[in-house]
Amino acid sequence: MFESVCFYLCGGLMLLGGIMTVASRSAVASAVWLIFAFLNAAGVYALLSAPFLAILQVLVYAGAIMVLFLFVIMMLHGPVMNEDLRSRSRWFWPALALPLAAIAGSAVTLLGRARGGAFPAPAPHGFGRAEQVAALLLDRYLLAFELISIVLLVAIIGALSLGLREGRRT
Amino acid sequence: MEQVTALFARIAGAGTLSPQLLLWLGALTMALIMALVMAACAIVFTWAERKVAGFIQSRYGPMRVGRWHGIAQPIADMLKILQKEDIIPADADRKFFILAPFVLFIGSLMAWAAIPFAPGFVAADLDMGLLYIFAASSLVTIGILMSGWASNNKWSLYGAARGAAQIVSYEIPLALAVVPVVLYAGSLNMTDIVVAQQGGIWKWFALRNPFLFVSFLIYFLASIAEVNRTPFDLPETESELVAGYHTEYSGMRFAFFFLAEYANLFLVSCIATAVFLGGWGHPVPGLNFAPALVFLAKAVLLVLAQIWIRWTLPRLRVDQLMHVCWKVMIPLALVCLAGSGVWMLAFVRFA
Repeated sequence: MFESVCFYLCGGLMLLGGIMTVASRSAVASAVWLIFAFLNAAGVYALLSAPFLAILQVLVYAGAIMVLFLFVIMMLHGPVMNEDLRSRSRWFWPALALPLAAIAGSAVTLLGRARGGAFPAPAPHGFGRAEQVAALLLDRYLLAFELISIVLLVAIIGALSLGLREGRRT
Repeated sequence: MEQVTALFARIAGAGTLSPQLLLWLGALTMALIMALVMAACAIVFTWAERKVAGFIQSRYGPMRVGRWHGIAQPIADMLKILQKEDIIPADADRKFFILAPFVLFIGSLMAWAAIPFAPGFVAADLDMGLLYIFAASSLVTIGILMSGWASNNKWSLYGAARGAAQIVSYEIPLALAVVPVVLYAGSLNMTDIVVAQQGGIWKWFALRNPFLFVSFLIYFLASIAEVNRTPFDLPETESELVAGYHTEYSGMRFAFFFLAEYANLFLVSCIATAVFLGGWGHPVPGLNFAPALVFLAKAVLLVLAQIWIRWTLPRLRVDQLMHVCWKVMIPLALVCLAGSGVWMLAFVRFA
């Protein structure tokens, strides 16, 4: 009972955060609503017995990536920005239809599974703890894990070289 | 927290309260205790800061309020700050201006939940306590950025930008310095980490091997940068930025920044105590009755060291600050991590 109240609270607030992220007028407000959505997503992860994922969600997304976002937005726009970003483009309806279709699709799939009785599966003991994630990352998916780190390294070097070239031109 | 809920159960008589209600009561009590600890450390440490500053500058510091060496000065300061007019600048972004101090404060209050003050006395004995503390305190950066931006003031914005850049950078050596300890303790749970250091001063992680000692120093320096204190107080340099990101704040809202700052100062010292200095462990015989006092004493000593450093050293330049972090501390922390691993393989017998 208590857990489902928490789940619907976190889920609802996460949806609110997501909607406000796209509906807000100022970019900074959008970023802050996105942080709010991420925090609630972390709550949902914690309720789904994935505490490690929940903490990483806060640490990496809310704490590091969104700080960079806020930093860049503030540096680019300077003081409070008032322009209306919600001007309708001709992509408005397709952009609305795509996520709605995705939500409907996943809802249909989940309902079908729930009727089949395969859902919700109880989490095994120790599921979602750091040890288990580490075992998966450093054993079963070691190659993919290392490859991703190389991709990130290449991305950093690429960003650096692009930034340096820009700097030299001016 | 289990002890607190057990205490409530004993007071009310067994079976009279439902487990759900007991859980809520326990959680509320622990939250209240942590909030009081935060308020108390702001009161004690402002006094200590002004006294130590006075001694270092060959003067007395506060002497008048409260008869003995100005002991009641922080209470007078608090009363004064609460009476101040609450000002929100006309051009400020009202919502964020109001929200920012709370985000900052909640970030530092949340982190307290996982600090083990004594065996069993921890609000939330999380499996990933150490990671949780870092995650919770990363919200502080968001509060700083929000306050600086919402004030609509160039000094605030510069202060916030510097603060965010500094904290994001110094989080890396801070976290890397703690990793060798996790390696040795084999756990991210704060209680497990402290328990792994029991049984003599040489069991403390800071003294286990030379690499861990260097890790401890890196952690200590990086934590001074994390709480924006001299010599790393670039975000609030009085001579350039008035007061940095909280320039426009007054009254109660400013008090929140103030409270969070001193609470963070004590928080990083508590983490250092638990992770590197053996938590409630001590070499003195006959002191086992008060583990929480031992813990607090160690943390307070670390805070005094930070105050001492603040009033002794001049401030770094921005480029020096970044140089120290990225080119000295991070490589050194990585060397310490590798060195601790090798040391562990070479000298530590696995059970």
